[in-house]
Amino acid sequence: MATLIPSIACLGVIGRNNNPLHIQIFPSYDPSTNTYVPARTSLQFHLLLSSTLDVFDLRARRNAAAGVGLSGDFGLLHAVDDRLAAYGFETNTGTKFVAVVDMRGRRVDGRAGNGGVHGIGVQQGGGLGGVGGGAAAAAASSVGLREGEMKVVFKAMQTAYIKLLQNPFFDPDEHSPLTGTGGKKITSKKFAEDMRRIGEHWGPGVPVI
Amino acid sequence: MSASKASRLGEETRIEKVNAELVVLTYGTIVAQICKDFEKDYSQVNKQLDKMGYNIGLRLIEDYLAKSNTMRRCSNFRETAEMIAKVGFKIFLNVTPTITNWTSDSKQFSLVFDENPLADFVELPDDGRAQDELWFSNILCGVLRGALEMVQMQVETHFISDVLRGNDTTEMRVTLVRYIDDELPPEDD
Repeated sequence: MATLIPSIACLGVIGRNNNPLHIQIFPSYDPSTNTYVPARTSLQFHLLLSSTLDVFDLRARRNAAAGVGLSGDFGLLHAVDDRLAAYGFETNTGTKFVAVVDMRGRRVDGRAGNGGVHGIGVQQGGGLGGVGGGAAAAAASSVGLREGEMKVVFKAMQTAYIKLLQNPFFDPDEHSPLTGTGGKKITSKKFAEDMRRIGEHWGPGVPVI
Repeated sequence: MSASKASRLGEETRIEKVNAELVVLTYGTIVAQICKDFEKDYSQVNKQLDKMGYNIGLRLIEDYLAKSNTMRRCSNFRETAEMIAKVGFKIFLNVTPTITNWTSDSKQFSLVFDENPLADFVELPDDGRAQDELWFSNILCGVLRGALEMVQMQVETHFISDVLRGNDTTEMRVTLVRYIDDELPPEDD
């Protein structure tokens, strides 16, 4: 029996000036063709990420008024439809991480070690003998994602971002200038590779990425 | 001196607390700044790093001799290599490079670095030239050259591979040019 579990459809890193720093899209399972294709077009994901900025702004203001939560996990920002949902995290320096989750993005078979495009992620779910994958799927489909399920993603993204900043040849001012407008995108291959790893490995219940 | 003795010497030394990330970031910033100052003329950058290292080496040797409690000269270049790798690098970087690829005349060897603390996090700029021209950790070559010169050894040092460039290992080649004889004062007859 094949069940569908949540997977990451898109990861976005947004700079202090609300400028896009890095966007990576991950294909999700399409039952009609039995293949993995992106759930939306690139432009649609860009728009989706842009729309989360208002939520970030609102939440930040509300937090400031209440005097809590200077930075950190913003939780669910925006449930787009019954499949896609955007989760957010903001650092003290104003860099924002957004993870768009496809609630039915990955197929898990009853059999362990199911192949599929994103073999590693699927095998982690199926590695528990199929039961784990099924349980995760049941948990996810019944109540959406559990609280804190996305923490591991943001933790990993923040670690990757810190690694990027430690590179002396990376100039943060170039990417989020103090003038307050614009900025270049991140071109680091290591960072892109880290993002890819996070997007492909994450699934409900994955303890570390 | 036996190999185990040399490695013990390195262990015994008190390692002072300096935040590694601060050092790594400082060095990285220096390299990045030199690259900017020389407008990405990487051969010049390598030269500058080597020069800086040379000046560090001239001073560092004194510290090394004090910390390692060295009582006598190394009897040959092989012993010198052992001390460099197992005591010197252990004291100052807390890594122990592997000594390999000796030439038959015992005048040339390689230091292979399994880890290079200076290059943590570094990703060379993607301008198509840095990958082929810049030796990011070239300061180490200068340090060795400077330090050995102070103990009467003229050496030539250069990197031949670096994981930052996509090579499998980081390897430095050290060649003994000659022992510098102490100049004797003119004898009066």
